[in-house]
Amino acid sequence: MRPFLDMQFGDRIITLMAALVLVLQIAVVAQRWIVTHIRIFAIQSFLLAMIAATIAWFNHAPHIYIAAALTLVVKVILVPIIFERLVVRMDIREEIKPIINVPLSVVISGGLTLLGYVVAESFYKQNEPGLGHNELAVAISLFLIGFFTMINRRKALTQVLALLSLENGLFLAAISLTYGMPLIVELGILFDVLVAAMVLGILVYRIRETFESIDVSRLRRLRG
Amino acid sequence: MMERIIESLAQLFLLLALAPLVTGVIRTLKARLQTRCGPGVFQPYRDLFKLFRKGMVIPETASWIFAATPWIVFFSTILAGLMIPMVAADAPLGLFGGVLAVIYLLGLGRFFLALSGLDTGSSFGGLGSSREMTISALAEPAMMLAIFTVAIGAGSTGLTEIAGAAIGQTWRFLAPAQMFAFAALALVLIAETGRIPVDNPATHLELTMIHEAMILEYSGPYLALVEWAASIKQLVLMTLLINCFWPVGLQPTWFGFGALIGIGWLLAKLLFLSCAIVLLETVNAKMRLFRVPELLAVAFTLGSLALVSTFLF
Repeated sequence: MRPFLDMQFGDRIITLMAALVLVLQIAVVAQRWIVTHIRIFAIQSFLLAMIAATIAWFNHAPHIYIAAALTLVVKVILVPIIFERLVVRMDIREEIKPIINVPLSVVISGGLTLLGYVVAESFYKQNEPGLGHNELAVAISLFLIGFFTMINRRKALTQVLALLSLENGLFLAAISLTYGMPLIVELGILFDVLVAAMVLGILVYRIRETFESIDVSRLRRLRG
Repeated sequence: MMERIIESLAQLFLLLALAPLVTGVIRTLKARLQTRCGPGVFQPYRDLFKLFRKGMVIPETASWIFAATPWIVFFSTILAGLMIPMVAADAPLGLFGGVLAVIYLLGLGRFFLALSGLDTGSSFGGLGSSREMTISALAEPAMMLAIFTVAIGAGSTGLTEIAGAAIGQTWRFLAPAQMFAFAALALVLIAETGRIPVDNPATHLELTMIHEAMILEYSGPYLALVEWAASIKQLVLMTLLINCFWPVGLQPTWFGFGALIGIGWLLAKLLFLSCAIVLLETVNAKMRLFRVPELLAVAFTLGSLALVSTFLF
């Protein structure tokens, strides 16, 4: 039997890639350098595009290919370039300082992953065929860890990156549960992400211009 | 019975002969990658030979622990090495204990090394011992979780059964639980063998050294025994990693033509893993000591995810 037509093999590969996405998300929590953070985000998005392409291949759903290609262009190429430029322009050299220390954050994100699995369990029906279970669990974990990372970081730029990985979780949930949303919704979300990345990039830059720091805990007073 | 003895002798020879070679290959590859010439693959053998012919200096303050430690470390490591499947899934001393025995035999060696570091009363030795124990205390939970994941998959903690179960399933390593466990165990391997993000094996004169600080007082034949044991421990852990997760070429028994194929595969896989270690060592800088817990926290989280996902997936 050829593996490239075997549904079981496809399921294995997708589960494996979803697990890798999860590992990368935990790596983000342990990361101290913002440039590495951006690159991990790019790799994670690349894996998501591959998951989408694999689902399209095994389910013969050509419209998912378009979503995969768009993810590739927007999240793997454009958004990382925008952020790396921003890092160069703002001359960020210091490390990311999380509020909760790194070992504890890593253990907490492990716990959040468990929570994700418990929540996903209730959506799952034993007799239903197809994908969904593991991928949904990974997607919920990505949400939760993304939220946690946003709360745990002080700098606006890293919060934006956390928001984007949270959005990756949304994409994974949509694609694994419904085999892709209608294409127009997909397009809308991707452009939304692109525009959000650009607007937030400009916003972060302006915040630094005004407050001479992108530490959001300093944003307490109004300045004219 | 006779077969068991031949098997044990063959694996003993393989362990003793191969361990310095693995160290030498890693050093040479690393030197080449950094565009240095390097001392050659067989340098560890020459080092051991030279050390065995030298005299010894034993500190006046040292007790019997100092003299006993090299032997205990050497023999406990060899015993652990005979309990793991190297060429054949059937380990020579597999009947004496499973993977837990292997880990805690290595732990016994480490315990005595730490004691001997304290024994001479030098401040460097004490520093090394305290650091070694800190790191191993953090690495052990991660390692146990990863090992339990593998053991649950095989339904037994015996290494013969684990390797046997791994032979049967070709796509097994694609399961997320196996992959998490593999990643956790690989991180633990780096920490346990004193490789670069955690400890620098090439240095002897650094304040941040861990393994070297403990054995700073040893010289001559004792140093040779300790160094040899360290390279055997590295070989044991590397073999454990590759044969539990990637048992390609592992033979059911030791005999016949299959043993040669098994040895060939073992060498190929060890070379591959060495290349990976060299690459990792070259692109990374050594971590600050207080950052090491972060690395091991990642390993622990991966290990617990692995264990949990065996029940969920």
